[in-house]
Amino acid sequence: MHIGRSLRSKEAPRHVSGRGRFVDDLVLPRMLHACILRSPYAHARILGVQGQAAAALPGVKGVLTPDEVRELSKPFKPGRYASGLRVPIPEYSGAVGKVRYVGEPVAMVAADTRARAEDAIGAIDVDYEVLPASSTIAAASEPTAASIYEELGSNVAWEGHVSYGDVDGAFKRAHSIVRERLTIHRYSSTPLEPFACVVHRTPELLTIWCNSQSPDVIYEAITEALGIDAVRVIVPDVGGGFGQKIHLIRKYAVMTALMAVKTGRPVKWIEDRSEHMMAGGHSCEQEFNVEAAVARDGEVLGIKIQDTDDVGGSISTLTIHFTNKLNNLFNTYKVQHLRLEGRSVLTNKCPVVPNRGIGKPGMCFVWERIMDRIAQELSLDPIAVRRRNLIEVSDFPYTTPNGNIYGSGDYHALLDKVLKNVDYGDVRRRQAESRQKGVVGPLIGIGVVIGVEPGGRNAARDMAIFPQSKQMPGAGGVEGATIKLEKNGSVVFTLGSPSCGQSHETTACQIIADVLGAGPERIALASTFDSARSPWGVSASNSGNNFHLYDVGAVHGAATRLREKVIVLAAHLLQADKSAVQIENGVVSAGDRSMSFAELGKIAYGNQAMLPKGFEGGLEATYYHSHPHADPLMLPDMQGRVRAQYTFSSAAHAAVVEVDRETGRVRVVRYVIVSDNGTLINPSVVDGQIYGSAAHGISVALGEGFVYGQDGQLQTLTLLDYGKSTTLETPHIEIEHFPVPDPFTTLGQKAAGEGAAIPSPAAIASAVEDALRPFGVTVRDLPLTPERVWRMMHGSERVRA
Amino acid sequence: MKHTVDLTVNGEACSETVEARTLLVHLLRDQLGLTGTHVGCVVGECGACSVLVDGKLVKSCLMLAVQADGRDVTTIEGLSGGAALHPVQEAFVQRFALQCGFCTPGFVMAAHALLCANPDPTEAEIRQVLSSNLCMCTGYVQIVEAVKEAAARLRSCT
Ligand code: FES
Ligand code: FES
Repeated sequence: MHIGRSLRSKEAPRHVSGRGRFVDDLVLPRMLHACILRSPYAHARILGVQGQAAAALPGVKGVLTPDEVRELSKPFKPGRYASGLRVPIPEYSGAVGKVRYVGEPVAMVAADTRARAEDAIGAIDVDYEVLPASSTIAAASEPTAASIYEELGSNVAWEGHVSYGDVDGAFKRAHSIVRERLTIHRYSSTPLEPFACVVHRTPELLTIWCNSQSPDVIYEAITEALGIDAVRVIVPDVGGGFGQKIHLIRKYAVMTALMAVKTGRPVKWIEDRSEHMMAGGHSCEQEFNVEAAVARDGEVLGIKIQDTDDVGGSISTLTIHFTNKLNNLFNTYKVQHLRLEGRSVLTNKCPVVPNRGIGKPGMCFVWERIMDRIAQELSLDPIAVRRRNLIEVSDFPYTTPNGNIYGSGDYHALLDKVLKNVDYGDVRRRQAESRQKGVVGPLIGIGVVIGVEPGGRNAARDMAIFPQSKQMPGAGGVEGATIKLEKNGSVVFTLGSPSCGQSHETTACQIIADVLGAGPERIALASTFDSARSPWGVSASNSGNNFHLYDVGAVHGAATRLREKVIVLAAHLLQADKSAVQIENGVVSAGDRSMSFAELGKIAYGNQAMLPKGFEGGLEATYYHSHPHADPLMLPDMQGRVRAQYTFSSAAHAAVVEVDRETGRVRVVRYVIVSDNGTLINPSVVDGQIYGSAAHGISVALGEGFVYGQDGQLQTLTLLDYGKSTTLETPHIEIEHFPVPDPFTTLGQKAAGEGAAIPSPAAIASAVEDALRPFGVTVRDLPLTPERVWRMMHGSERVRA
Repeated sequence: MKHTVDLTVNGEACSETVEARTLLVHLLRDQLGLTGTHVGCVVGECGACSVLVDGKLVKSCLMLAVQADGRDVTTIEGLSGGAALHPVQEAFVQRFALQCGFCTPGFVMAAHALLCANPDPTEAEIRQVLSSNLCMCTGYVQIVEAVKEAAARLRSCT
């Protein structure tokens, strides 16, 4: 058996040897290098752009101005990320007419070297009329604020709500109402490899190599903008995605394609770090007003949440941070009555994009913060309040009021184990001792939280909120895999989706090895994503925590199909009954007769005389997987209930922190996770996903983030200013697996990807608040920078970091 | 103005014409085709471009190509010296110390330099030294384990 063990990584040998193949490694004959001129202003009208001087410089082969973008391409139609848009607003790849954030792409130059393209950028003359900029939700919401989109009038571009159960009734029954106001700041996962595109245009075909997580987005964007339907999208190795490379990257794919069309030569465009920081997309800054109706014993009878999302200077992702909250609307809790109101406010800041869990860390933060607040106000134990509201083991499969079906889990056990592993009682004892000692030494705090990690996207989700939308991509999910037994006995396979470093090749290889009976060292990925060859469907995206559901299902299905074929051929050749054929380690046998895969392969591709009658030559199988349990509620019902995602991993996190009294710096002393990701295929790979996502969430909670000035200028253009955690700030993270197989997936597997990024900001907030208990302060806002924590200790906590 | 630089890269002598402003990382990647050295920031913050210059760890985005004249450069492609994998590389594979692999060449070079200077580092020392490099994927846990593993392997073979 290979499933369930940490099979040696298939991808790692090439990466440790410098043999990874990323977009920037690609060189084509006569290839030009492009560079982008970006807006220095947060809000301005573009009165004119003069590119002639730049075009005349040595080596320059093309300049693309806003007028040409308008002439040569069509705008994107508002897509599903902007379902709530009131008026259809055209959005081109580059800025046309106006710039709405610092870094918005205005013009592009292509030259024979990158350096010459960069030189030429400085020679483009842009005439701007600078407009007042709004850099906060409050400023943008003022009636007097300058309209970011005149078509919409107000910068409050969307308002709406969802409601489940009888919320008013719950509030009438309540013993008390617990209120809280919370905020989460702007951050990003800052993939180490920035955006990258190479476009090669021939009369027959436009080929783009692009480090996109969602090749379908690039495919559609180019088709739509350039009116070309012969498009081939190739995604080689990708240096990290995390959601950053789903959406905004299409702008650059289209601009690079336009440049290739204009110059008639292949064009490479590589984003640089500061460009990515200012314009590559941020997670959404969110403000929440929460009211919980609670019984005396801490039971949450109902909850009302107002969510205001700062969506930045583009309508293209107007409502995605709201709709994504349907995925973990109730977290691990059995609460039946909920109302979520949403507001999307445009500001003159970078547009928002999905980022590792998009919307879900916010929902988890709301639930876990309010649980702590309820405990405090009712003088109850915070863990007891959570336990009072947890979905019980006997409730599974459990349907949430908004239609999500949680297949399996044991949330109490997760809490039990995390408390034991973190030595909860001992931490409390040490905390009490140190508090008695008074004002020496660091302040000790512990936070324990719990959360779900939804996985496997249902393409019809947003129809629950926007039934009128005509732009939905479809429903449910479809994704393929192809496996071929070669004539030399080796096995190659193709997945329907790209990988951004989640060891998809290794994981798929383990499944194929077990199902097909091949030795894992003889199995390899044929190539990374190529739209001309990969069996891709609507779920072909390195996002939505899709791989475990769709790709694993497809690989398993294709391997099963191929196994059947191998058995038919082997039974014929070994003159045995099909039921007598065994396959192990690349050898088929029946009784004392056996043949290798290589012998089978030679016959299957070369010797028709030896094939059974009617047997299709070759040994290849393709399978497209859809979730067999996608219903009920794949399509939303009249109450707006829908399966937002299909599987629900869960985890309990415990953070122990020490806060320095002098500086406010928070040190994470221990970080303990107990995680249920269903059946584990490769435990070390899953560990990696948990470590990475936890580290990011912790870093976000403790200070990494984007900071803007009032003028809309981004002040964190480098990774250092942005505050990315290194080995020094990142704690050692301890994991225990507690897998409860999912009853509805192929192998009982659940998602592992966004995972620990969802509860970790809440865990840190809870721990820091606990450490600061002697000061009687409440943690409402992230990030918990030393300055903010220090101010909290000194009585001025509402100052922004 | 163009300049000629003569240097040794992974044991091979080369002579290249560069602009004064050309960075070492671009000489390696664009002129010599050694694309294992990556660019994550080009301002010295991420370490993805780390190489050895005369045996010393250098961020090759912080060095001009002309400064490498007469020097001996080792990139990730040259680390194993023809063997399948250098013990540091093998430890990174074994310990799942990478995900997307973009930071990996830089971390392997940094870990190698660390172990040359300190064959038996504590976890704190490993974390201190490797804070020169950034990884956005792994949360560093498996990288730190890999370096410990590599140290043990290297000690056992000397
Ligand atoms: S590219 Fe040299 S340090 Fe980041
Ligand atoms: S493995 Fe992706 S940046 Fe380190």
